[in-house]
Parts: sequence; structure tokens; C-alpha cells
Amino acid sequence: MVRAALSTRRRIGQGPRPLAAFVPAVSVVLASLLAAMPIVTATGWFPDFGFLVLISWRLLRSDPWPAWWAAPMGLVNDLFTDLPIGFSVAFWSATMLALDLVDRRTMWRDYWIEWVLAAVLITIDEWLQWRVAALAEARVPFLAVVPPLVISVCVFPLSAWFVSRLDRWRLGR
Amino acid sequence: MATARPGWSRRAQYGLFFSFLALIAGVIVGLILLAISILAPARFADIRGAALDVTGPVAGAMHEVTATVEGVFTGAGDYWDAAGQNGELKRERDAMRREILQARAVMQENRQLKALLQLREHEARTIAIGRLVGSSFSSPRRFAILSAGANDGVRVGMPVRSPEGMVGRVVDTGAFASRVLLASDRANIIPARLLRGGIPVISQGRGDGTIDVRPLEVGRNPFRRGDIIITSGTGGLYPPLVPIARVIKLDDDGAVAVPLADPSNISFAIVEPPYEPAAEVESP
Repeated sequence: MVRAALSTRRRIGQGPRPLAAFVPAVSVVLASLLAAMPIVTATGWFPDFGFLVLISWRLLRSDPWPAWWAAPMGLVNDLFTDLPIGFSVAFWSATMLALDLVDRRTMWRDYWIEWVLAAVLITIDEWLQWRVAALAEARVPFLAVVPPLVISVCVFPLSAWFVSRLDRWRLGR
Repeated sequence: MATARPGWSRRAQYGLFFSFLALIAGVIVGLILLAISILAPARFADIRGAALDVTGPVAGAMHEVTATVEGVFTGAGDYWDAAGQNGELKRERDAMRREILQARAVMQENRQLKALLQLREHEARTIAIGRLVGSSFSSPRRFAILSAGANDGVRVGMPVRSPEGMVGRVVDTGAFASRVLLASDRANIIPARLLRGGIPVISQGRGDGTIDVRPLEVGRNPFRRGDIIITSGTGGLYPPLVPIARVIKLDDDGAVAVPLADPSNISFAIVEPPYEPAAEVESP
């Protein structure tokens, strides 16, 4: 077998798309904007799309965007979903920090570890949203936020698959 | 920690260090903003309103499309079994005609009695009419986006109702759109009473699309399945005699009810001024 057969098929002139460095951040903002979809739900069991895409990118790559971008992206998420302003700013920055620390500790990564990590982060996210809602005089039993939690954890693989496809597209592979 | 050093490059080491600092700064700034938005929600009213003005019209435009598609399908469905429906509607119409006659008589009597008592009559005034074009997707709070804003005269604290029943109250306004705290949100407490018997109750959302109703007096559970809960007008924010919810399940000291104005399929929402003008609330 010639060595060329082992390398990926790459045509001449094929490379990263223009503005490839901004694709991850733009995709997170667009996912936050999904909250503007004209669907009125009575239950609110949709996943937190912006957060799902954020952790999908961060678990796929260690540097999808400069670290401090997490704060402005969180602000956009707060404005367009109905979270109190500042919640995602703080929580998304903290997520980036936590995943940096996790990167130092884990010896290897495979799909199951990523899913468990994502499940833990989503659980913390839902729990904090529930705590903050309780502070704003909307104390519901925690059982009420379990269904959206389970749905979000189940949707994470879809989001991870979508993000990996997007990553290949932006790098022109 | 030594293993995490990105080589011997000073520049790369400093870069990593400053990105850590930036993240910590992001967490601190976020926590400060969060504290402000919980303790003084009015502080961010302008920026929230601006964001509403961005999403509201988009959601409104897309809502027209989905509503049209849905309308085509349900419209086609109405032709199915048209004869059966026709007969049923005729029976309903006859029953309703009898009830309307009774209601007219009661209204006339009521007017005479009120004139006797010289009660001040509140006329229901409409500030604006809009559609519910979106809602909160994922938080434990229940908000909806209404396609009418400050330009139409909508102000924070105004009650929102639909022909079917009470929807909630306005908590944020943009120029063209506003955010409504639905009756099914935990923080929305509506003074109410039972339509049957007029026992005073409190209606409070459960955050999952249903409503908790509790009697004011502890003791016997007054609810029955199918009971209608109406607003009582106590507190002066919500107008009286607007239906809120129907009881579907009893629990130990109250009941669970579903809102009559289901926010996912009401056609129009009507914004009214607070029932007693003095009762305008500023904080959501």
C-alpha cells in the first residue's frame, strides 16, 4: 500500500473555512437563540441548548475559543433565555475553569467519560437554576426539574455529534 | 501541576495564567450581576427589554408560519365527520341559548341590585392585544413572550388575560414585546375563589404547567374534580371573576389544577390595566 492511501483524502486548496476560529462561539450563540423559537411550552422541559453546545465544544477541544469568551456568551444566553442576568456568565466561566482542571487530572478520555462529565455538569446546571429560582421566590420541588435534566443528558450525544460534524466542516476535513 | 506547563515558552505560560485569571474574573462578574438581578430586578429592565425587542418580532414572524401550517391541518381535520359535528354543535347551541336567556335575566337583576347598593362599576378596559409568541424553554420558571410592548401602552405589573381565562402578569417590557409571568409560575400567587360556593382560595403555579390551589381556611378540603377556580379581585391587581383553572386532582390539603388559558394554544392575550390603579407593582 502506498503511503498516500493512509492519509486523509484532501484536495488541493482545501483548508479551514474563512473565520473558522469564530465558528464555535457563533454556534453557541445561535444555540442560545433557539430559545426564540415560536414554541410556547407549558412544562419547560427543553434542554438548555446554549450550555449543551458550549460543553460539547469544550469537551471536544481544549481551546475552541479564548477562555474569557465564556462570559460574554453567557450574557447572551441570559438575555435570550429567561435566566436571571449573570447566571450563565458565572456558571459558564466556572464550567470552563472546571474542565481545565479536569483536563489536568484525567489520564485518558473516551466517549463514556465525556458523557459522564457532561451529565455531571448538566446536573449542576439544573440544580443551580433550581436554587436561583428558589431565591427568586419560585421554590418548586426538585422532582419537577428531574424530567428536563434527564432529557438534557439524553440530548447531549446529539449535540456532541453535531459539534464534531461542525468542527470537521470548519476545518475543511 | 508541573505536567500542565505548556513547554518552556514564557509567553505560553503567561497566556495560560491570564486565561485562568480571566475566567475567575468572569465568575466574579457573573456572580455580582446575578446578585443584582435577584435583589434589584428593575436594574436590568432596559437591557432585558432590548433583548425582548430582538427576539419578540422574530418569534412573532415564525409564529405566523407555524400557526398557518397548523391551521391548514386542523382545518382539513374539521371536514372529517362534519355531519356528526354539526348535530353536536346544534345541540350545544340550543343548550347555550337557554343558558344565555337565564344569564340575561340574572344580569338584569344584578344591575338593579347594584344600582340599589350604588356600587362603583369597573369597566374592563383593554390596553393592548397581542399573541403569545414564545416561552421559557428550560428553566424552572414559566415565562411567555407577548407580542405587544411599551409602544402599545403595556407596563410592568399589568394583568394579562385571554378570552379563555387568566394568563398572568407582565414582568418585563420592550418596545414591541413584553415578558409575561404565567399563572403556572411558582412566584405567581393569585387570590382566587371557587366558582361553586365562592370559598376563598390561593392559586400558585407549580412550575410545570399546572397550578396548586389551597383553601385560605385550613380544614376540610373543599375541592372536587372539575371545579373551576376564578379570580377574586382581592389585592387589586387581577380583575375579579376571570376563570383561572380547572381542578384535575385532589391532594391532602388542596388540589392540582390546569390553567383554562393554556398558553400553548390561546389565540390572543389581552393586557388590561391593574384592577385598582393603586396596586401597580414594580418588582416581578
